[in-house]
Order: sequence, then C-alpha cells, then structure tokens
Amino acid sequence: MACTCDTTKVETNEEMITRVDAIIDRIGKTRDVVIPLLQALQQEFSYLSSTAVERIYERTEIDRAQLISVSTFYSQFRHIPYGKHLIKVCTGTACHVKGAGNVYDSFIRELKIEKDSITTPDKLFSIEKIACLGCCTLAPVVQIDEKIYGHVLPGKVNEVIEDFLLLQGDIEKEETEHARRKIAGEIRLGMGSCCQASGSSDIYKELQSASTQLGIQVNIKPVGCVGVCNKVPLIDVVLPDGSITRYPKVKASEIKEILHHHFKPAGYLSRLKNNFLNHVDTFHTDVTWDNVIWKSEHERTGVIDTFLTGQKHISTEGFGFLAPLNIDEYIAHSGFDALKKVLTTYDRKEVVSTILKSGIRGRGGGGFTTGKKWEIVASSLNKEKYVICNGDEGDPGAFMDRMMLESYPYRVIEGMIIAGYAVGANKGIFYIRAEYPLAVTRIRAALQLCREYNLIGENIAGSNFSFDVSIFEGAGAFVCGEETALIASIEGERGFPKQRPPYPAVEGLHGKPTLVNNVETLSQISYIINKGSDQYSQIGTTGSKGTKVFALAGKIRFGGLIEVPMGITLNQIINDIGGGVEGDEKLKAVQIGGPSGGCIPAHLCDMQVDFDAFNQLGAMMGSGGLVVLSESDCMVDMARYFLSFTCDQSCGKCTFCRVGIRRMLDILDKLCSGKAEMSDIDMLEQLALNVKKASLCGLGKTAPNPVLTTLKYFRDEYEEHVKGICKTGTCKGMIKYVVSDACIGCTRCAKACPVDAIPYTPYEVHTIDTDKCVLCGLCVNECKYDAIHKVPLRSI
Amino acid sequence: MVITIDHVSVEAFKDETILEVARRTGHSIPSLCYAKESAHKSSCMVCAVKNCDNGQIIPSCTTLPVEGMHIETDSDEVRLVRTISLELLLSDHRADCDAPCIMVCPQGLNIERMLHFYDGGHFEEAYAVLDAAFLLPQIACDTCKAPCEKVCRRGTIDQPVSIRTIIREIAAKAYPVSPEGGKKGWKLDKNRFQSRIGRFTEKESLSLKANINTSSNCLHCTCAGQTGCRLRLFATEAGIKRSRYESYSALPAMQKIHVSGKLWFEQAKCIRCGLCVYNSEDGFTFKGRGFGMQVVIPEESKSNIEEEMAGLCPTGALYVLEK
Repeated sequence: MACTCDTTKVETNEEMITRVDAIIDRIGKTRDVVIPLLQALQQEFSYLSSTAVERIYERTEIDRAQLISVSTFYSQFRHIPYGKHLIKVCTGTACHVKGAGNVYDSFIRELKIEKDSITTPDKLFSIEKIACLGCCTLAPVVQIDEKIYGHVLPGKVNEVIEDFLLLQGDIEKEETEHARRKIAGEIRLGMGSCCQASGSSDIYKELQSASTQLGIQVNIKPVGCVGVCNKVPLIDVVLPDGSITRYPKVKASEIKEILHHHFKPAGYLSRLKNNFLNHVDTFHTDVTWDNVIWKSEHERTGVIDTFLTGQKHISTEGFGFLAPLNIDEYIAHSGFDALKKVLTTYDRKEVVSTILKSGIRGRGGGGFTTGKKWEIVASSLNKEKYVICNGDEGDPGAFMDRMMLESYPYRVIEGMIIAGYAVGANKGIFYIRAEYPLAVTRIRAALQLCREYNLIGENIAGSNFSFDVSIFEGAGAFVCGEETALIASIEGERGFPKQRPPYPAVEGLHGKPTLVNNVETLSQISYIINKGSDQYSQIGTTGSKGTKVFALAGKIRFGGLIEVPMGITLNQIINDIGGGVEGDEKLKAVQIGGPSGGCIPAHLCDMQVDFDAFNQLGAMMGSGGLVVLSESDCMVDMARYFLSFTCDQSCGKCTFCRVGIRRMLDILDKLCSGKAEMSDIDMLEQLALNVKKASLCGLGKTAPNPVLTTLKYFRDEYEEHVKGICKTGTCKGMIKYVVSDACIGCTRCAKACPVDAIPYTPYEVHTIDTDKCVLCGLCVNECKYDAIHKVPLRSI
Repeated sequence: MVITIDHVSVEAFKDETILEVARRTGHSIPSLCYAKESAHKSSCMVCAVKNCDNGQIIPSCTTLPVEGMHIETDSDEVRLVRTISLELLLSDHRADCDAPCIMVCPQGLNIERMLHFYDGGHFEEAYAVLDAAFLLPQIACDTCKAPCEKVCRRGTIDQPVSIRTIIREIAAKAYPVSPEGGKKGWKLDKNRFQSRIGRFTEKESLSLKANINTSSNCLHCTCAGQTGCRLRLFATEAGIKRSRYESYSALPAMQKIHVSGKLWFEQAKCIRCGLCVYNSEDGFTFKGRGFGMQVVIPEESKSNIEEEMAGLCPTGALYVLEK
C-alpha cells in the first residue's frame, strides 16, 4: 500500500510542475519578470515551494543568485508554508499607540504559538505583524484572512478567534451540506460611542428581531466608530459578492424595508426601489472590499461640518458623489477636460511651464519642485521615456495614496497622461504596493475603461499623442518608495537604491529618462490645468502651494483622511477638524511624516503646514501621516517604535543604515528597559547625526529624525528613562502592577490573567507575581474597583 | 576639469572618481568596498569625504567630480564619519584577528599555526613553528601555567584544546625543521587592532561542538585572511581599540564554508560590500535585507567561483587556505 502514497506524491509533483509551467508561459522567462513571476507562483501555491523554484531555474533566464537575492529581499514572499488562516496584526503608528504590541502577544499566548514560530502547532493559524493596514481610526486592527477586526483589545483576542472560527464553521458547514442558501450577507452597524448615543443600539435590536422575523439569515456585525458622526446611525449592507451599500441616518422603522430590499428576489427589489428608498441611491456605493474601504467611503459620505471646516478638496474633488469606476460620471464632472485641453491647445513646453508656475512640489516626501522634474525629463532628447506613478506608500499610518487610487483612479490616470504628454513619454507604469489589492483592481479596471474610451493607447482622443499604461505590483519593501530603489525593483532586482546623480529624470528605468511622481502629486495636475497655475498657487504658503492630504490618527477624536490647504496650522487640524485630543487629554506632540518625520511638540503646533517649516523643525512632510500624541504617550518609546520600523525596512546596502540604525535601536532598547546610562544619550545623538549625514539614500538619511526631534524637544524624558522612570508607564521594563487595598477579592483579575500571575484567592486582597506578569493590562481592564495600578519600579 | 581637494587645486581626468583623483594627487583616503578594475558600488562609507559646496558627506569611491567642486578629505567631521563607519562594521564583525591563545603565550608561540599544521598532518611544519619559539622545544611548556588553555575558546564549548600535551607530542618526535613552518623571530604585533569574537551564543556553541572535529579539537580562531585585511588596517590607523557600540551579529560566528579549490568563506567576517556578488556570475548573492542581510553562496553555484575572488574581499571573509 505504501507505493500508492508514493505515486500520489509523484503525481502531485508533476501536477505542480504543470501548473508552474503554465505560469511561466503566461508571465515570461526574462530576468526582469522575476517579481511578477514569484507573485503569481505564490498566489497559486501560497508560498514559494522548492519544486516551483527549481522549475524557474530550469526554464527561465533567472538564476539562483538573482532569485535568492530578490525573493528574500521583499517581505511579501514566503519560503515556508503558512497555516490555513493568516492573522495580520497591524503595527502601524496609530495601532502602536493603542497597544498593538499587547494584542500581538495575546494572540501568541491564546493560540499557544511556540517561541520562534509563527504558526500554531495544528497549522490552523499563522500570525505576522504588518506595517499598516490603513484603518488607523479603528486601531488596534487585526486582519484574519480577508476579515478585519477593529478595536481589538488584548482581552478580547479569544473572542476574535472564536468569531472567526464560527464564521469559518458556518461557511464550511454551508459548503459541506451543499446548502441551498448561503448566508445572505452581512449588515455592519457602527457601534462607536457616538453611534450609540445616536440610537444605534435600538437599530441593532431592530436588525436582530427583523431578520429573525423575516427569516433572513444575515450576520449582524457591530463595528467601531469611524467618525462620520453626523450621519449616524449608519449601516452597511454587505452582500456575499462583497458589494456594500451604505445607509446613513437610518431609522428603526426603515430596517425591515432595507432587509427586504437586499435579501429578496429581484422582482420585489425593483418594486420597492420605485416607491421607497430613492434617496438611498444617493449614497449607494460601488462594489467594494471589506471595511478598509470604510475609510475612503468616509471621505465621500463623511459630511461632518466640523470635519469639513478648513478642508479643501483638489485631490479628493468629487468627494461624496463620484463613484470610483464610473468613467462617464467622471467625464460629466469635467473629468479629462484638462487632458483634452492640453492635447488640443497646449504645446508640451506650455504644460511644463504651467506646472512649474503653479509651484507644486512633490507629495512623496522630499518636496522637490514637480515642474523642475518635468523640465529635466522633457529636456532630454531620448525618444524613449517613462512616467512612473509612485504608489508604494509604505509609511505606517499613511494611507492617502491608497484612498486616491481606490476612490479617484481617473484623476490620477489623467494626471499621469498629462505628465506623459508634457515630458514626451509614451509609457506609464503604476507602481502599487502589494498590500493594496483593491487599488490594483480599481486601477486595472479604470485603465481598461480608459482604453475603451481612447484616453490611453494610440492617438489619444484623436491627437497624435500615444501613451500606454501598465501596472507593477510592489512586493513589500518600504525602501522601494525611494525612486531609484523602485526602478531597481521594476527591473527585477533587489530594491537597492542607486547613487544619485544620475537622477532617474536623466537616467532611470532601463537607463531611460524617467519621471517618477507620487500619486497625490499626479492627482493635483488636472486641477492646475483646468483652473490655471495662478489660481492654484494662491492656495498655500510662499514655498508650499496647493493642498495636502493627511491621514489624521492617534489620540484624536475624529480621525480620518483630510485634505487641507498648505498653510493651515497644526492646531487648526487637531482642534477644528479633528475635534481635539481624544478623552480630553492634553496634547503632547504631533508625529508627522512617519518614520522619516519627527515629533513636533505641542507648543510649536501653531506652525503652518509647509515643507520648509517642517524641515526646519527636523520633521518632514513625508507622505502625510499625522499622528496625534497625548500626555500618556512616551516619546522615547515613540522614537524606538519608528526606528524599529526603519531598522526592519533598511535595504542593508550601506553601513550607516544597516548597522547604524540597529545600534541606535540597541541604545533605545537599553533606554526603554531602564538599563542605559547618561552617556548613552550622547552616544545616541552622535550616532543619529552621523547616520543622517552619511547614509546613502533617503531612508537612512531621514530615519534618525524621530530620534533627533524627540531628543531635541523631550530630552528630559530620555534622562528620566536613564533614571529608570517612564512617567507614562509605556516602557514595560520600568513598571509593575500592584493591587491596592480597594481590592475586595472578587477574583475577576485572577480569572483574566493569561499567565496565572494572580493567584485565585477569593475574598482576599489579590497579589501579582511580578516575575510571571507580562504587563498586558487585562487585569486593570477587568477590575471593577479600580484597585490595580501601574506603578514605576523605581520611585520618582 | 579642475577641483579643489583640501584647499589644493587639482586636475581631474575623465571618468576618474573623487577617490582616484585624491589618491593620484597624494591624499590618502581609506576604502573597503572599492575595487579599481572591478564592479563596485558604494556601501561602506569608509571613503567618506565632504562636498563643501553643499555640506554633504559623500562616498568618494563612486562620486564623479564636477567642475570647481570643493572637497574636504581630512577634517574632524570626515574623520569622525569614517571612524564611526569602521566601528559600526566592527560591531557586526564577530571574529578574532589573532587567536586568544597566541595573545597570551608568554613565549610568543604561534600556537594556532602550529595546530593548523598538526591538524593537517604536517608534523614537520608544526615542529618548525615550535622550534622557532623555543630553544629547547622538548621542555618548552613544562614550567608554564598554560594561560593558552585557560583562554582557549574551545573551552567555552566543551574542553579547551590540550595544547601542552600536543606540544609534547610534537616535540617528542623531534622532526627535522621544515622551512615552510614558522619563521624565526615571528612576533605578534600588539599595536595592531584586535577584533574579538565575544561569547558564543548557545546555538553557535552547539553547532561548533558538533561540526568542528579537528584532531587537536582546535577551532582555529586566528583569521586566515588577515594578511590582506583592510578593515584591520584602517581600524589600526584610526586608533580604534574596540567598537563603542554593542557588538553582536546576525551572522553565525566561525562558520567556515569551503567554496572551491583552496577558497574558503567565513560569513561572520563579511562586511557586505558586495564585491564578490557584483563580480561573480550566478555565484555569491545577497540574502535577506537590513541588519540581517547576508552574502551567501548556494551549493550549486560554488563551482562558478574562482580562487582569485579572494583578492577582492577587503576582509578575511573570503580567503585562500594554503597547506
């Protein structure tokens, strides 16, 4: 009988090779396709198996050296099989300040994942930390397969797992029983505190009773507040095909109708449609993908007066009514007018000079004058040129590029075609990071429609200009946001930045002049062309023109994506748009620009949003993450957090970034565990300054900024850490939990403790074994008598 | 083209990098990742200079000069960058320049070299090393308290090498002295920089214990590629005693991999300059990224590598092991 097993195995292998061959034939055999090829293989087999890899060596030009170097550089690629379900714990900035670390640890404990492993012994779950899921207002966020859970507390981890397994169970049961009817869908209901205040609890009850009454099998899922507070109660009806329909301001009396509308045969539906819910279509949205989209939806339907104060929509023009993929609608709202205008009435030089005159600067981080870049590329006599849209938005806490690609694909495409025309390029490439599958789908669909409308391709709109656009999916490397690294990755290499000069504008992709512009930059182009450079340059400050999209998150009452004119002050953003610091805490600092940026202390928050002003303070605009920090956030921990991100993302090429950042992190680790000496602070500062000076690319040159700015404005906190004190109680090495006399011995804490550090002693004051305690804080949340407190190990 | 280096105007020829101009005109700039005739990319930053026109620190080995440029090669600022760069590389460099036993031998016996011959079965050469250090090798170590055995790294894994017993064994046979063995008057140069391996991790200990089974049991801590090691040279020149930074590496210490012919590769000594990667076809390659990035040689690609590759390596990571 043993031979049967063997034959099965051989057959599987052969089958596998056939599948691998099909993929190779589809994608190609040249060295530059290595990334798309590996992506396709991974999608097919869920990891890069040795059989598949060996087959690549046999059948393509890709050799061992290239494959090893590329497949181990990008974090997307897996070399070992994962468990059945993948848990992604978001460790973006917003999630970090809300305790993502504890959530991760809880999953590890709850799932009994062994040390140095990421997969449960039964291979059911694998777990990984990921840089940012872009759901910052729902922090801390966890994604299991396609399902996203917001506001996950360390103590609720088991509930999340149970909920997920229950859902799986349902699906599997349905599938195995070949049930006639699958779960009809899901209804999501905002249950944040503001939503509840508006009566969403009643809606919830009504949903439950109505669905039972009507016999409609739907999941009713309460979700967290997303900040669209003047439109609540707000429900989303999600159908099995993933489409979402949103109903703002629902009344309990409308629930039955809504259920009918979605979960009854079509005849009934159309009948209803005519006599009811006409207004609903105003808010009817397109097919979308889980509640990540909630964020961009929020942009379109989130009409809070205060939230809108001071915002100005250029990149997000059409907000509230434009359906992302409806090209006719975009055209009806003067979409592609700018393109037609330049094709018919402008010569190339005029386009470049218009952009130059508008004063727009690159939104990707550096703030280089966009017109200048265009000018350089345009001036080259080379016949072959490229335009690349940089959508490799990797900052934890930034998701504006994703939102724009998903919600306003045509605006970005239009900007790219205009750029192509202006610089004389005939090829455009969208570089979109791997973590944004919906953005890829949307852009792909949008490009297809543009092709049908002759907006890309040969002789665009009857002109003699031809321009074609393709998509390249990034494979997970923050450094690829740097333009030379991005180009290297399109060429099928590791994302090592190249030394500049030569700049890509002179010698870029395949050695040809290449214009690399950020998504947001391109999305502003049509406005400039339509309204003229003068009108555009009236918005903003002397050195920074136009608007900037920020992802506002952290300890803020109303987080979300905002587009504001340059020159607005940080205080205006925090107070007028964001509604102030969450929980009435005091503002301590604003972290701007993610891992390349810095912390601006509260007393400087009356500064204007401006490229140069930020740089002077040692921060930078970056791609636009804006994380609000309150008095309960530890600045040393903040610096450490960002540095651990850059340390992880360093490409490894140059000494200062590869080893220097690691050594800085070592010192910060020492500081955060209370083992540092005063001289370590000076050593850290010296090293940080030299890493900034002597690293070879933007990643290394800016990575020390979070450290340098916190050292500059919060040096006293560093000194406290040397003395073993972390006032905010964030740094775990310096605190312990103690039980006070207020304890009545109710045993709730003992039951909650995941590591049995609290003995089960009913009616006695509980004690905490500090050696066992992992400082997860579950007991504090459980205690009804406010009897457990975090205290410093050393006295202040 | 004329540029200014340390306030002196010099002529720069076509295609010359700043480093090449500077060296040609008598300025000394250290460099590790640069190789004149071979493909190279800046990474080590030991050749840092300052472009005074914009205040930037730049790698001189790949930067091409531009007309009228002002370069500074010898200021405090530049020297600090170079020193920190070396210290950072050394903090990630888990290797001994000279074996600890040699460092402590009061008689200046090159113990590791002697054991190297012993392990290779070359007893005459081994005896020659002994003979070079002692007038009467037969009674060489009889009165010594054997500090060599106390510091022996093997001792941190299991048992120290029984150096004295082996010396007696070699001495007893009184071989004729082979000229290939030790040179008379060999002396450890204590003014040179000494890299230190530090403690083995538990994993390393286990793996070394299992994999190193020389007949003497010696781990051969002395760096076999030290003659051409520029890392040590520049560290000595910069007056570095030891790296100020916490020292540990993601690379396994003392893992010596046979590549081809007499060519060997020891990862832990690699500074990841990539010279061997850029100059081999389907041979050495990078693996991983960031601090943990390694240079590896896949088993199947070893035959693509020539012995001459050792000449490119700026440290003792890639070396030719003679008899």
